[in-house]
Amino acid sequence: MRRLYLPLVLFFFVILEGVAIELLPASFVMSDLLIIPHWVFIFLLYIALFYDNDRTYFSVLYGAIFGLLIDIVYTGVLGVYMFAYAFTIYVMHGIRKLLHSNIYVTILLGIIGILFADFTIYLVYSVVGLTDMVLEDYMLYRLLPTIIANLLFLLVLYPITKNRLSKWQDEQITKTIN
Amino acid sequence: MPFFRKKRLFIILIGIIILVVLIGFSLKGRDQLSTPEQFIKDTVGWAQSVVHTPVKFITDIFTNIDDLKDTYKENQILKEKLSQSKSLIYEVQEIKEANEELRKALDKTESIRDFNPIQATVMSRTPERWVEQVTINKGKQDGVRSNMAVITADGMVGKIQTVSQFSSTVQLLTGFDQFNRISATISREEGNDIFGLIEEYDKETNSLLFKIIEDSETDLKKGELVVSSGMGGVFPAGLTIGTVKEVVPDQYGLTRTALVEPAADMFEINNVIVVDRTLKENDKAESVQEDKE
Repeated sequence: MRRLYLPLVLFFFVILEGVAIELLPASFVMSDLLIIPHWVFIFLLYIALFYDNDRTYFSVLYGAIFGLLIDIVYTGVLGVYMFAYAFTIYVMHGIRKLLHSNIYVTILLGIIGILFADFTIYLVYSVVGLTDMVLEDYMLYRLLPTIIANLLFLLVLYPITKNRLSKWQDEQITKTIN
Repeated sequence: MPFFRKKRLFIILIGIIILVVLIGFSLKGRDQLSTPEQFIKDTVGWAQSVVHTPVKFITDIFTNIDDLKDTYKENQILKEKLSQSKSLIYEVQEIKEANEELRKALDKTESIRDFNPIQATVMSRTPERWVEQVTINKGKQDGVRSNMAVITADGMVGKIQTVSQFSSTVQLLTGFDQFNRISATISREEGNDIFGLIEEYDKETNSLLFKIIEDSETDLKKGELVVSSGMGGVFPAGLTIGTVKEVVPDQYGLTRTALVEPAADMFEINNVIVVDRTLKENDKAESVQEDKE
């Protein structure tokens, strides 16, 4: 049963992203700034930091599955989010081994992760031709606001998820030993 | 260790190959979604409709507070407008009756204006802002087909892009590119209508580009109403698209392009009507081609 919690939470975030825009005030949405919710990614990052150990790759697997889900439901161009999320989380999983996971490392990895994931999406979309935004515009109008907004979400989520995920990780380890 | 390095590289390469294959698959201009995609969309769509209700309730409270502030002023204006429109309603009614009678006299019952409305509710909007899409809660089972026009009370908001069994995706006017054209017209007296094509949405000026095909004697004026002409064979005639904001010569200086401001609010879309044109196009291939040109 415990194993089902993570996919369910991730699925819930996928759905929430679809109504996220409605929560922002209209003047904000109609302005030039593009804020993209990467909530699924943030939670995947938490899984990579606090749930996975060095040898398990649940976060990468979930990243591929739920990235594909976002592709199917929201963009119709398959593979982009799937690749961006799974690949970035894989890199984060690698960096994690070098650093002790506390709140500062989480924030740092959050910034790097969102930057990396969103930039991968931008790169693929501009190659495919879905966007023709210039790099400078992209940095200023999309990347920066997106990172700030998602960082807020990351900080809100920190106290709720951290201990819970660590607890689940312990249970997962004891289960495998038994 | 070198063995692991190789394995890692191998996996990333396979990942990139999968990415390219999937993108290639999804960009080849398909009209139909594959069955697993339809299934996932419907499942997520169902869950979205569950989540959407409470979220809508909360956002509605804030909108209502905003609305209350303007109520008095709006009420004054509306009262004035109401008295004007009353006489207009009678006039329209009479004209409608006359039109129907004349049609009967001609034995012509079908018109490109007729359509069956399918009421639908917007469930979610894509978080990826480069893709302008919303999901609605009516699908194939309710008679929605791809390429149908989608309108609100104010005017046209987009067209159906893909359908699954119980939900479908609407491409908003703001997401239109050169592959989605709407044949449109500006109605004038005495057959001086101006025909043209709505070609794409220009993000810099926040307006639709209305390319005028024929050279007309009279110049376009600011504030004139652009409606769909029904000539494309897909959308019915007479759907409001927007108002002319500015007229500019195109890049070659040969034709003129009108910047059209969409009549409908592209941000707050809650209830929409999917327009099912009654008059079916005989040559279906032609209609698709026109729309996807």
